Amino acid sequence: MERAGRFRLEICFVFFLLALGFIIIFVSLGYGFGSLSRPGPGLYPGLIGAAISIFSFFILVSELRSRTAKAVLDKAGAKTLIFMTATFCLWIVAMPFLGYVVVTLLATYAFCKIMKLEGWRKPLAVSGGTALFLYLLFDYWMYIDLPRGIFG
Amino acid sequence: MEGLGLLFNGFVQCFTMPNLVACFVGALVGTLVGVLPGLGPTATMALMLPFTLSFGATTGLIMMTGVWYGAMYGGSTTSILVNIPGEAASVVTCLDGYQMCKKGRAGAALALVAVGSFIAGTIGILGLQFFAPLLGNAALAFGPSEFLCFMIFAFVLLSNLSAEAPLKGGVMIAFGLFLSTIGINPMDSYPRFTFGSETLMLGIDFLPIAMGLFGVSEILNIAIEKYVKPEVNKIRLKDLYPNREEIRRSVYPTLRGSVLGFFVGLLPGPCTVISTFVSYSLEKRISKTPGEFGHGAVEGVVAPESANNSAVMGSMIPLLTLGIPFAAPSAIMLAGLRMHNVEPGPMLFMNYPEIFWTFIAAMYLGNFMLLVLNLPLVGAFARIAVIRPQILMPIISLTCLVGVYSVRNSLFDVWVMIAAGVVGYFLRKWKYPIAPFIIGVVLGPTTENSLRQTLMMFNGDLSLIVNHPVSLTLLVLSAAFLIYKFMAPLFGNKFALKVEGDDVL
Repeated sequence: MERAGRFRLEICFVFFLLALGFIIIFVSLGYGFGSLSRPGPGLYPGLIGAAISIFSFFILVSELRSRTAKAVLDKAGAKTLIFMTATFCLWIVAMPFLGYVVVTLLATYAFCKIMKLEGWRKPLAVSGGTALFLYLLFDYWMYIDLPRGIFG
Repeated sequence: MEGLGLLFNGFVQCFTMPNLVACFVGALVGTLVGVLPGLGPTATMALMLPFTLSFGATTGLIMMTGVWYGAMYGGSTTSILVNIPGEAASVVTCLDGYQMCKKGRAGAALALVAVGSFIAGTIGILGLQFFAPLLGNAALAFGPSEFLCFMIFAFVLLSNLSAEAPLKGGVMIAFGLFLSTIGINPMDSYPRFTFGSETLMLGIDFLPIAMGLFGVSEILNIAIEKYVKPEVNKIRLKDLYPNREEIRRSVYPTLRGSVLGFFVGLLPGPCTVISTFVSYSLEKRISKTPGEFGHGAVEGVVAPESANNSAVMGSMIPLLTLGIPFAAPSAIMLAGLRMHNVEPGPMLFMNYPEIFWTFIAAMYLGNFMLLVLNLPLVGAFARIAVIRPQILMPIISLTCLVGVYSVRNSLFDVWVMIAAGVVGYFLRKWKYPIAPFIIGVVLGPTTENSLRQTLMMFNGDLSLIVNHPVSLTLLVLSAAFLIYKFMAPLFGNKFALKVEGDDVL
């Protein structure tokens, strides 16, 4: 089961690369290859597309023949990855509205809990310290004006 | 004499408060990064890029180089005391360093490594100081075909030395080159792969990609991995005295490692890592007591650590003289310099001599700072290794997020960084090397310009390249390397150069 999971994802990635190579060639043809003495804007990306296609084809063949696949992520690891990524994304979405200081405070707390920092005092201290540090760094030392949202 | 005058001027420039602070901060952060297992120097340099933008080009360059060679110093501390390499270039040090620690000679090993690294750093800087201007002058005669062939040579070696499977290295370079074509092509103002998006017209910025691939992916990796608290052996200042025999045995390995590391630094690929493996093998081969290696031989500790320090300086030469980074950290530096509108290459010595000579002076100073920092504070640095990632990683994550946003006030850049981080996590797991990708992104525009100019110059007839001896030599070397790679398995990989380790970026 583990082997199938890893196998599918990595093979999908190589298929994506293969398809990307062909798409680059196709789109580059539209830009025009020009001639060797007067190369057009499509020649260079076309060559790159060809290289990606060739390399990924051989990688695909070798991956399909490979019998030593191992799982990249177990269930707990996948959960951590999803929660970490979700926290990153929520920071981006919420930052313009709540301001970077508040969102940083909340996101740091969330990261601490996702990484299983026990209790609530330590995560609170880390998140408070991080928010304060970033506020001092960007506002006071570097004079960079960042969004403060509804609290600004 | 002119060089000495310029160097003196460099020292004068160096002794300004911003440069001194940058030098100290770079060296300190680098040492911390080296000590802490996980984040490597490349990731840290990528994460620090937004902050260097607040200073001048020279100050930024000084800080980033300080991080790189500071990490080389710090990496040995945990290798010797905990048997955990702080970064990839200290893997070899574990072999004999930890054995010395078990014999109660950890203090001596740390002292010899610190002094050895200082000597190696100084030899490396001397090499950089003398060779870089010479090569820079020679490179003034290089045309587009020479640059194109240098690029091909670098790509061939990079794809082969950075990955277990060269095909994976190759596809990563090609993918990086592709990414650099997105946006308006400056040669003919033609928009490519933008699909009508105004954001993509400007191209994809290098910084969020580098921060995502090196920084965020490493944060995700550390968050997912199970943390095992390391046990650190205590060390006191009075333990740092090596005995006469240990000093005698470490003199020549330090010098050999320094010279060897400097020349390995000139090669494309993870030069600091390669230099440690090559230097360790050399010492073992010429040793009268090879059986001691792996059981606490002092030569096996000082030679690789000296080599990785001087390799940092060696790898600066192609970056500063040709504008071609041969390793991931120098690619980050190139990107940093470009953000300051400084283009390294042959013209650097004519247009911005003050940058080069201030940088050289700062290297001497930084090397001395590292020695002063590392010897008395070694016990404190060792204790830092036990700071839990549950505390450190959230702080670094948020610094990344705010840092990348602050450069252009662009949420798109933050999205790119997160996407690059998640993709980078899987790429690492599937053993796709990230360094060739990032070098591909950085060198993409130069490669395209060189290719198109060469084709136009030769009127489409590529056979004219035989009239350009430098280009021809580089192409022959690239072909010879590829032939060697195909032939090596026929000889049972006896001569194959293999770099091991997960983090050989």
